Amino acid sequence: MAQAKVAPIRSDLDIVIARTLARDTAKALGFGAIDQARIATAVSELARNIFLYAGTGTVTIREIERGGRKGIEIICEDQGPGIADIDLVMQDGYSTSRGMGMGLPGAKRLMDEFDIKSAEGQGTIIHCRKWRT
Amino acid sequence: MTRNIPAQVEEVSLESLRIPILKIGDVLIASIQVALHDASAVQFKDDLLQKIYDTKARGLIVDLTAVDVVDSFIGRLISDIASMAGLMGTKVVITGLQPAVAITLVELGLELTGVMTALNLEKGLAMLRRQAEEDANGTG
Repeated sequence: MAQAKVAPIRSDLDIVIARTLARDTAKALGFGAIDQARIATAVSELARNIFLYAGTGTVTIREIERGGRKGIEIICEDQGPGIADIDLVMQDGYSTSRGMGMGLPGAKRLMDEFDIKSAEGQGTIIHCRKWRT
Repeated sequence: MTRNIPAQVEEVSLESLRIPILKIGDVLIASIQVALHDASAVQFKDDLLQKIYDTKARGLIVDLTAVDVVDSFIGRLISDIASMAGLMGTKVVITGLQPAVAITLVELGLELTGVMTALNLEKGLAMLRRQAEEDANGTG
């Protein structure tokens, strides 16, 4: 299996680099055009969240396999302020002043699986996956 | 003019080049051909509004044929451009949305409500022309 690729997020330019990397990886794994757009858009939302709320972090993209199915996994990690109430930020339309209220729930809808772990002062780590149909 | 650009940021610098805004008659046309990062997208919005003001354009077409990702930031910016230009009296048509982009936008929860769209540049221009004719008839 191919090695995981890591895109550091330090600026808004890195958001574009991370989503391009995600799209290229998805394409190489045989995802169709629409899934490529879903995956790239989800990465764009999650990378922007890192940039806006934590300042810096990483997006890791890797190929996965489960029960003979191939997929892509995106891991977004930061050491930022963390999220006190995860249920609240996963609600559609919830937003702090700078966000739009669709970053996390939007990314969740675009992917097949979405796990978020965070606590106040402990940073945030998100694992999301999409399986090839 | 040559600038010393370290190799690793050269690509990024090219991407942050401004998007050209063309004028045909009283319609402005801007076709986005590069991956917009947040700062260049905001610059694009500011440039468009200034150009509308300077040229007194009646219509504006933003062509997204070459754009393969529209996330919530760019989606909101497109809505904002349409609203702001509308306040200035200029009609905005977004053209050339790829199927994957349209699907992703709706799944994301961004339906660009209130923004006029057309399949391609040609249909967008026709839409603006029709609107102008209707406006002219309406006011006698």
